[in-house]
Amino acid sequence: MAALLDPPLLRRLEGLALQVRRSVSGQMGGERRSTARGRSVEFADFRSYSPGDDFRLIDWNAYARLDRFMLRLFVAEQELPLSIFVDLSGSMDWGSPNKAATAKRLAGAIAYVALAALDRVRLTVFAAGPTSGGAPYRGRRAVAELFSRLQSFPAGGPTDYSRLVWPIARQRPGMTVFISDGLGDSPIEPAIAALGSARQEGAVLQLLAPQELAPDWNGDARLRDAETEVEREFTLTPATRAAYLGELARRTEEIERSARRRGLRFARLSTDEPIEDMVFQALRRLGLLR
Amino acid sequence: MTFLAPAAAFFALTLPAIVALYFLRIRRPTRVVPALNLWPDQVRDRQANVPWQRLRVSSLLLLQLLAAAVLVAAAVQPALSAGTSLARHSVVLLDVSASMQARDVQPTRLDEAKKEVGAIIDQLSPQDRMTLVAVGPTPRIVASLVGDRDALHRALNGLGVSNGSADLSSALALAAGLVKAGDDARGYLFSDGIVGPIRTDASSSLPFPVEYHPIGVSGENIGLTSLVVRTSAQSRAAYLHLQNFGQQARTFSLEWRADGKLVDVRRLTLGAGVAQDLVLPVPSDATVVTAHIDTGDIFSLDDTVTAVARSPSTFRVLLVTPGNVFLQQALALRGDFQLDVVAPADYKSSAPYAMSIFDRFLPPGLPPGLAPGLPPTLPNGPFISIDPPPGSPLAGGAAIGVGRVRATDAGDPLLTNVDLNDVHIARSQDLRNDTFGRALISSLQTPLVLVRDEPFRQVLFGFDLHESDLPLRIAFPILIQNLSEWILPPSVPSHSFHPDEPVTIVPETGATSVTVIRPDGSRQALAAGAVATFGETDLTGLYTVEQALSGKTNRSWFTVNLFSDQVSQLKPADRITLPPYNNAVAVNSVHRGQLEIWPWIALGALGLVVLEWLAFHRGL
Repeated sequence: MAALLDPPLLRRLEGLALQVRRSVSGQMGGERRSTARGRSVEFADFRSYSPGDDFRLIDWNAYARLDRFMLRLFVAEQELPLSIFVDLSGSMDWGSPNKAATAKRLAGAIAYVALAALDRVRLTVFAAGPTSGGAPYRGRRAVAELFSRLQSFPAGGPTDYSRLVWPIARQRPGMTVFISDGLGDSPIEPAIAALGSARQEGAVLQLLAPQELAPDWNGDARLRDAETEVEREFTLTPATRAAYLGELARRTEEIERSARRRGLRFARLSTDEPIEDMVFQALRRLGLLR
Repeated sequence: MTFLAPAAAFFALTLPAIVALYFLRIRRPTRVVPALNLWPDQVRDRQANVPWQRLRVSSLLLLQLLAAAVLVAAAVQPALSAGTSLARHSVVLLDVSASMQARDVQPTRLDEAKKEVGAIIDQLSPQDRMTLVAVGPTPRIVASLVGDRDALHRALNGLGVSNGSADLSSALALAAGLVKAGDDARGYLFSDGIVGPIRTDASSSLPFPVEYHPIGVSGENIGLTSLVVRTSAQSRAAYLHLQNFGQQARTFSLEWRADGKLVDVRRLTLGAGVAQDLVLPVPSDATVVTAHIDTGDIFSLDDTVTAVARSPSTFRVLLVTPGNVFLQQALALRGDFQLDVVAPADYKSSAPYAMSIFDRFLPPGLPPGLAPGLPPTLPNGPFISIDPPPGSPLAGGAAIGVGRVRATDAGDPLLTNVDLNDVHIARSQDLRNDTFGRALISSLQTPLVLVRDEPFRQVLFGFDLHESDLPLRIAFPILIQNLSEWILPPSVPSHSFHPDEPVTIVPETGATSVTVIRPDGSRQALAAGAVATFGETDLTGLYTVEQALSGKTNRSWFTVNLFSDQVSQLKPADRITLPPYNNAVAVNSVHRGQLEIWPWIALGALGLVVLEWLAFHRGL
């Protein structure tokens, strides 16, 4: 656990909470507003008493004024089902700092915030296909196991976003955080579309290394694809550099447009950004955390 | 098209060399990238270290080949046949006279002419000779070179304009002397056609044809063509002559200054071709007066004129006469004469006079030996003797009747503006055998007026003025003026000279140094002991002559002004009647000039190299 996130950071993370725009529907009580009415301190509505209702909820002041029984309804607070999808394909195992390692730390930080708030966290890593991170985690006691599990996954292989459609679609409505570089031969659009269809609120976080945001080399090279290992001769010049950056920007813009169309938040993060800055600044600015 | 350096075609071998370099392969380092599909499919060879590979045609290769080809094309120095016909020896006569300062073509006519001459220089082939003759007041050869176009350009650019006139006759004679019979030569005259008259002796001996290239387009100019200060016993005034030589009426202001101080400003309007004379006041203490017009026309040399206003030093002149009002009035016209009139009975020989006029009288009893070779009874100095009494040493023979009066030499400067056509003389002493001097005015019967230079300038009239109508003619005061100025010339002439006209300066007796200060402030020392000719009068304006004389400095002045209607009219001549050339001695084998285009090709090559550099760095 210590290797993934430092204890001081974990302590600071306890001060954060996931921010949901709409009420959630969980299976167990938690700290999230639910669409169901239940016990909490937040008043929601009145309704007429019907036999079988908990008479403790009768508003006696209303009975005195209206001469009929009225029940006071409160917002039920339930757990938040949070799903975290982490891209551990070959393209993520690249850059300095390494994108896969940074993705794991970022996922761990977000999961910690959720677990500290008694939310349920489901972890899925993917490359050529999805790999479940085990049974849903809940409570602080699951943090160590989640971190351990997260660290145990190796990175490598091609990316196939289409294989994520089913695991996403079968989720209950809730929050999903999708961490990926958005690169690879297969398009990311089906996965994002599936998030929208599954009524997932959350964010798509594109994680890129500084070396791919601004290539730090020049001249001739033989390029090898990190996922497919296909090679091609290439000369990096101002013109080809501009073409590359243009293509990268276009890819990023496509992902962002697709995410926003489905009500998802989007942020592009660089791995040279400290994890604290990502969480406390970028994600708070994004509205994912508060 | 011809190639001036065909050997440079050797550099064409660089083209296959460039292609050969592109056959070499590059060893590329392997770089792992997250997604290969983000990188454009573009490869460019920049270095070669592993032979060989298939040739990849790229825009860079094409640009390099094109640049190398254009550089080779520039190196062989191609030249096109130019439009101008050139002989092996081109004699360029370039007018550098005052009128070439006109700004009707920008910046000046001379600069325009230089540009055209420069174009001819650029067309010379390495075997062609060019002789550049500057046509000014004194024509001179500026350069005569074969093949060295840079030196010709330098000589051309070093030419400056003169304020003087163009002596084309002398220039043609000079050019004719440069060309030998049988030479393949051709002349080019770049001028506005405002040149001096062409003398016939120059026209008969030109061994080559001359092309006239007129320079200039307009004659719009207002000029001050005369300024004279007249001093009489009553007043002192300046007479200024202005003329509009152009085709448009102009309004302008005239500034009149005395010793640099503004005296008067007048607003004037002159119609096209109209002249006007102005009489302007001259302050009594003024030394120099200056007139300036601000017309903004194309020629400024005649916009400012200067005249010396100070009266020259006065001469004491003695007139001994029984009574001659004509003579008295004529002599009084000289403002610098202090005239003493005495009757013969009152004559005393002791008084010092610069000049004496003896009318019907000759003094007796003068000390002998004062004038060697002369009768001892004559005064020792300049004089005019009129009708000496019979029996006196200068008396001629018995009086004889006189017919038509004429000038002995019509070109004699002493008779300038003297019209003798209507002059009649009743009788005169017979001076045919007189040895006094040369005859100035004569009749068929006898010489009438004799003059001599040695030992003093002296004049002998053989007739009584009262027996002639000469004193009633306008010729009389002019004749007396001419004679008195000849007898008593001022040591420094105070009238105006033309630019580049030599000025004779007679140092005063006892002067230890003579210095001339030019209008630009430069000083030139002259020999103090002899009559000096000062020729550095190319600048217009006021010249000051300083003479150191026994501890004090005497100053006198003269001026140089354009004062030339011919130059001020400025209108360029469409054609000049140039002398025909002698076909017998000319070799008519003109060839087309060469216009070198390699500098432009080299410029294009430079542009291609820059383009290739940009393409290289932008990865095109």
